[in-house]
Amino acid sequence: MASSSSLKRSPDQAARVSYRVVLVGNPNTGKTTLFNRLSGSRAKTSNFPGTTTAARIAHASLGNGHGAVEAEIVDLPGLYRLGLSTPESRICREVLAGEGLYHKPDAVVVVVDACNLTRNLVLVGELLAYDEPVVVALNMVDLAQRRGLTLDAAALSREIGCPVVPIVARRGEAVDRLTGIVANVLRKGESHTPIGLATDDQLEAWADRAVAASVTGVGSGADTLTERLDKTFTHPILGVLVFALVMGGMFWTLFALAALPMDLIEAVFSRLGVWVTETLPPGAIRDLTADGIIGGIAGTAVFLPQICLLFFLISLLEDTGYLARAAFVMDRLLCRFGLPGHAFVPLLSSHACALPGIMATRLIPDRRDRLATILVAPLMSCSARLPVYVFLTSMLFVGQPLYAAVAFAGCYLLGAVSALVSAAVLRRTLVKGTARPMVLELPTYKMPSFTNALIAARDQGYAFLKTAGTIIMAISIVMWWLSAYPKAPEAPEAVTLQRAASAATNDAQAHDLLARADAAQARAQQQQSFAGRIGRVAQPVFAPLGYDWQLTVGVLTSFLAREVFVSTMSVLLGGSDDPDLADTGVIARIRQAQRDDGSPLFTPATSASALVFFVLAMQCTSTLAVTRQETGSIKWAGVQLAYMSGLAYVAALITYQGLRAAGLS
Amino acid sequence: MSANVAPCQQPIPLSQLRAGCTARLHSADLAKDDCALLKALGLTDRCLLRVCKAGEPCIVEVKATRIGLSRTLARGVFVVPEALA
Repeated sequence: MASSSSLKRSPDQAARVSYRVVLVGNPNTGKTTLFNRLSGSRAKTSNFPGTTTAARIAHASLGNGHGAVEAEIVDLPGLYRLGLSTPESRICREVLAGEGLYHKPDAVVVVVDACNLTRNLVLVGELLAYDEPVVVALNMVDLAQRRGLTLDAAALSREIGCPVVPIVARRGEAVDRLTGIVANVLRKGESHTPIGLATDDQLEAWADRAVAASVTGVGSGADTLTERLDKTFTHPILGVLVFALVMGGMFWTLFALAALPMDLIEAVFSRLGVWVTETLPPGAIRDLTADGIIGGIAGTAVFLPQICLLFFLISLLEDTGYLARAAFVMDRLLCRFGLPGHAFVPLLSSHACALPGIMATRLIPDRRDRLATILVAPLMSCSARLPVYVFLTSMLFVGQPLYAAVAFAGCYLLGAVSALVSAAVLRRTLVKGTARPMVLELPTYKMPSFTNALIAARDQGYAFLKTAGTIIMAISIVMWWLSAYPKAPEAPEAVTLQRAASAATNDAQAHDLLARADAAQARAQQQQSFAGRIGRVAQPVFAPLGYDWQLTVGVLTSFLAREVFVSTMSVLLGGSDDPDLADTGVIARIRQAQRDDGSPLFTPATSASALVFFVLAMQCTSTLAVTRQETGSIKWAGVQLAYMSGLAYVAALITYQGLRAAGLS
Repeated sequence: MSANVAPCQQPIPLSQLRAGCTARLHSADLAKDDCALLKALGLTDRCLLRVCKAGEPCIVEVKATRIGLSRTLARGVFVVPEALA
């Protein structure tokens, strides 16, 4: 992956890279399709320096034979006008002017939608005000012809004063001709005379004149199919039904298809851990490698299938043109809570996992809208909460599956409602403002590109592994160390069980006794470890919520990743560390667990309090790492941790004290 | 209130036009950034637009571009109706 430094000025790079070409264009003009055509699968993704806007860069050979040149191609973010106050426009202005950290390009290829020439030419007019050579790639000429438009590229070129090449990027038609012309422009180094169109009116008049001189035909008029589809997809009732079907299908596909590779990744890392344990001599190096490093990498890599698949599906949906319509459907609900309609995909994705959900906020154009969505997305109940919900609802409603199911569904509802209410509060406090009223270009409906979707999935997966993976692994190692040290002496209970195993007459009994000995030793280790000691110190803080030191350790270790709660409680309270809840013996043992004073650990009030806490608390270091990455600041990760933990604490406190007052303690 | 009665010169909110009506953009009473974005999308001064769908969202067509606007925005965009629906 290219580092962001590849976009910065550097004498070494300047000497190594012959030419730099930037791709510019309105959204939905096929710019990314052209970039993928030029770069194949060799593109690298990084962020523009000092921003969270993704930049895609590729090295490509432009032109043929002796006239070919090697160039670095930078895919700039889609924008409507250079003069807008959006991050995309600012980045483009700085790149074109070679300001700040950017290296000035040698040529600009502006991708123009042939069906929508006037508006696109306004951007071309702005670009011609700079002194870099400009080549216009007139894309989707096939679609323009089908709509009854006849375009004269030569006349357009004469009118605007730069080369114009008609292409069909989707099919690769005339892309070679385009690259040949770009190579020629780069070799000659000739540029146009910058035009001086100072005002918007002048630019628009210039674009109108160019269109009048080069386009004949009036188009095919209203597209009745598009209008009917738009009416259905944005209808107050039908639109919601279609939305529910599409999203249901998408998330079913996500869960169904991601499960197998996730299981495979877990199995591979598990076997790798076992292999390391069996191969390396016992000691700190072995434990660090097997539990810290391999465990940390596994904890990151296991999310990869979900992230890649989600972005693959989002890219397909976006390509069809449906997502723009769906955004309006959800805008009606979400804008009441200060969130934009675009937030629905991130929030829904967060039900699978907050990591892809937060990364999907890149769809949201307004920075503050995006920030508000990132901050509340982890309140949606993710799949990592599932084992905890199963565990605690079974503690809460013993032998009452109907009530347990209602409580289970209630957890999801509580998470979603809390996210919306939190968004409303945040928009009145830390992220002041209302959701920006929605205005969107509704792109033409078309068949999605599988190649573009695959490239998007690969890029997003790679970006996740690089940025989040390193942080997640570092935190995992620290947490491993806290729970592994200092080493506890051999627990008397473990020694007794090991002796009993040695004396056992059959293998099954010996195996069972050894497993119990391991669990007893693990429990002793938890108690003696730094994590255990911290749990005892922190217990008074959690006492008003009904937690003893054991539950406190369970809650604290869950701040690494909430799914470890079940295995931690299992180890602490005398089960094995196998979190498989099908082992009813484990649940029974935990249900009978006692506090130091002999009273039951899991009362209805304690279980309900813990359930509410886990619904609302920020207990995922991976999510915090991705929040920091996507907001570009550790401050917002801190805000997320603080407000969610505070909300969880207060809600759990009210739950516990309320149930106690009602006599359900 | 429906505006598909007769051509007139009085600007009315875009949100009051029915599907099928054409109109010319007169002015916009919106935030500066919203005005700039609408203009960049093609909703320029005196441009001719056709309402493809009224309500929430309001969908208009301007020079082959289809633009969706939330009702809030459509209320702040003033147009002069041009033709009968």
